[in-house]
Amino acid sequence: MADLIQTVDVTDGQKRRRAAKPKSEARKKLAPEITSQRFIDLNKYALIAGLAIYLAGIFTPIKTMQIGVLFIFWAGFISLFHQKFFFGRLKLASLNWLLAFAVTCYSYDMPITSAETDNGFLVWAITSAICLIPFALLFTGWTKTRPSKKKRLRIVNFRIIVQTSLFMLWAFVTAWAMIRDDNGYALMYWAAFHVLTTAILPFLAGRVMCGWICPNATFQDGLLKFMDYKRIIPTLPKWIDEQSNSAAMNVSGPVDTRAPFMPATLLLAWIPMFLCETVFDLTKEAWYPVAFMFGLYILSVMMPWRKLCTHFCWLSSYRGIASHTSLWRIRFNPSSCMDCKTCPPEDNCPFYINISKQDNEMPATCCTCFTCVETCPFPKVLTYTRDKDEKARLREEAR
Amino acid sequence: MSESVQSYVPGADEDPASTQHDVYTTPMAKLARALEIFIPGYMFGKSWGIANEHTVELFRAEFPTFLIDLCEGIKAFVGVEGENLGRLVSTSTGAVVGFMVIFVLAAVMHVVMADRRYIDSVRFAAVTLIPLAVMNGTLSHVLQTTLENFTSSTVESITTSALDAPWQFFYMFSAFYLLGIWMLGRRTGVKRYRRYSLVGVGVGFLALYLASGLMIMPDEWEILLPQLMETMQQTGGH
Repeated sequence: MADLIQTVDVTDGQKRRRAAKPKSEARKKLAPEITSQRFIDLNKYALIAGLAIYLAGIFTPIKTMQIGVLFIFWAGFISLFHQKFFFGRLKLASLNWLLAFAVTCYSYDMPITSAETDNGFLVWAITSAICLIPFALLFTGWTKTRPSKKKRLRIVNFRIIVQTSLFMLWAFVTAWAMIRDDNGYALMYWAAFHVLTTAILPFLAGRVMCGWICPNATFQDGLLKFMDYKRIIPTLPKWIDEQSNSAAMNVSGPVDTRAPFMPATLLLAWIPMFLCETVFDLTKEAWYPVAFMFGLYILSVMMPWRKLCTHFCWLSSYRGIASHTSLWRIRFNPSSCMDCKTCPPEDNCPFYINISKQDNEMPATCCTCFTCVETCPFPKVLTYTRDKDEKARLREEAR
Repeated sequence: MSESVQSYVPGADEDPASTQHDVYTTPMAKLARALEIFIPGYMFGKSWGIANEHTVELFRAEFPTFLIDLCEGIKAFVGVEGENLGRLVSTSTGAVVGFMVIFVLAAVMHVVMADRRYIDSVRFAAVTLIPLAVMNGTLSHVLQTTLENFTSSTVESITTSALDAPWQFFYMFSAFYLLGIWMLGRRTGVKRYRRYSLVGVGVGFLALYLASGLMIMPDEWEILLPQLMETMQQTGGH
C-alpha cells in the first residue's frame, strides 16, 4: 500500500487517482474490461437473444411473450444507436437493461399468451436472464475511455426514440395477432401506417417512412449495421447497384428531364405487393403483414446494410415515387461544400446517395434520417433551410 | 459509398444532345421511366374498376359516371369469371381508363411546359397525380366501409360518411396535388412562369373532375339511399 502511494509523485493525474483507490484496482481485476467492440457485442447478442425469444414466442407452440421482451428491444436498440454516448458511461448503459428487467418483473402475470399454453414462468425466466446478463456485465465492467462529450443532433435523438418505439409497437401488435389469433390491433397499426406513409408524409417530407417508421429500417440501423458476418449476397451486380444514382436531380440550372426518379428494381418490387393486396385481397389476413415484414427481414439479413431498402423493398416503391413532390427536403448548399476526399455524409447515407452531386437539396430517395446533417464536419453544407446565397442563386436561375 | 458508384455519375449513354450538362442516366433507366408512368397510372384508375353489382350505383354517384360505365363496359367485353382473376381484371380496366386520362392530361401539360419529350411530360403528369390516386383509393375504401356498416349504422352516420367526409379528403389531396405540381415542376427545371400555368392546368383538371361527377351530391344521395336500403334488405346486409 505504501509503495503504491509513493508512486503518486509522478505527474500523471490518472495514476494518482488509481493509487488513491486501491479498492477499484482490485475490482478491475475481477470485472471485465469493456472495450468499444465488447460493448457493441454485448448489446448486440443480448438483442439477438431477445429477438430469438420473441420469434420463438410467436412462431413456435410456446405461444407466450413477456412484455419485457419489448423493452429488451428498447435497451438493445437505444444502446446500439447511441453506442458512442453509452460507451464510456457503462453504468448508465446498464440502466437500460435494468429497465427491461424491471418491466419483465412488473408484467410477470400479464404476458401475451394463448389460452392453451402455460409457459409463463419459463419465458419470464429466460427474458429476465437476457436482461440481467448485460446489466451485470455493464454495471460491473470498466473502461479506460472517457465519456464522449459530442452531442448528437436533437432531431436524430428524436428519430431514434420514434424508430425504437414504433419497432416496439410493431412487435407488440404482431405478437398479439400471432399468439392471440386476434388481428384487431395489427389492422389498426397497419391502417395508421399506410395512412401516414402513403397519404400524408410523402407529400410533406418525402420518404420519411424508410428513415423513421419502418420496423425493418430500425432492425437494420440498430442491429445489422453492427454485424460483420459474411452476407449470402455480399455485393449486388453493378447494373443494380448503380441505380442508386437515379433521382440525382437538379433543383435549378441545367436539368436532365430524362433522369429516372427511382431505381427500376425498387419499382418492380411493387408488383408482388400489389398482386397480393389487390388480387388476392389479403389485407385483412393476420398472417399477410407478418409475412411481408418478415420477408423483408430475411432479405435484409442476406444483403449488405440497407441495400434491400435501396433496391428491392416492396413497401417503399410506391411511397418513394409519391415523395417526389414533397414540400420539404434536406437542403444541400454546394457553395459551402469543401469537396473532401472522403465524404462522411456519403459514407453514412443509408441510401448510398452521391450527395456531392446534388443541386441544392437531397433527392427523392432520401429517407430524411438526418445522418448526413449530423456527420458532415462543416455546419453550412447540409441544412434544414436554404442558405441565403443558394436562395439568391435559385431565384436568379428560376427567371 | 463505393468507388464504382461514385465514378459512374455522370454516365451519359444516350441522347447526345443533352451531354452539355450532367446526365443522370442509370442502368435500366428506360424501365424505371416506364414504371414511373405505370405505377401511378394504375393506382389512379384502379378504384374506378372495382365496383361490383351491389356497389356500382354508389360508384357511379361517387365518381364520374362515364368513367365507371367505361370500366363496366370493358369488364363486360373481357368477361372474366372467378374472384381473384376478376379482381385483377377489374382493377386493370380501371387502370386502362386511368392511363387514358393521364395521357390526355399530360398532353396539356406538355404544351405548357414545352421543354421536354412528351413521354417525360406523361411521367410528370403521372407522378403528380399520386395524391389524387390516393384520394380515389380512399374514396372507394370509404364507400366500401359505408356499405359494410350499412345495417349496423344510423342513416345520419351513413349520410355523414358518404356525403361529408369525402370532401375533407378532396380538399386535402387537392392541396397535395397542386403542391406536387409546383414542387416537381421546380425540381425538374420548369420555369417559374410556366409553373403557374401548370398549377392552372391542375386546378382546371380538378374542376373538370368535380364537374364530371366526382363526389356524391345531396340530390343524388336522396335517390340513392332508398335504393341502397332496399338492396341491403334483399341481400341481408351483404
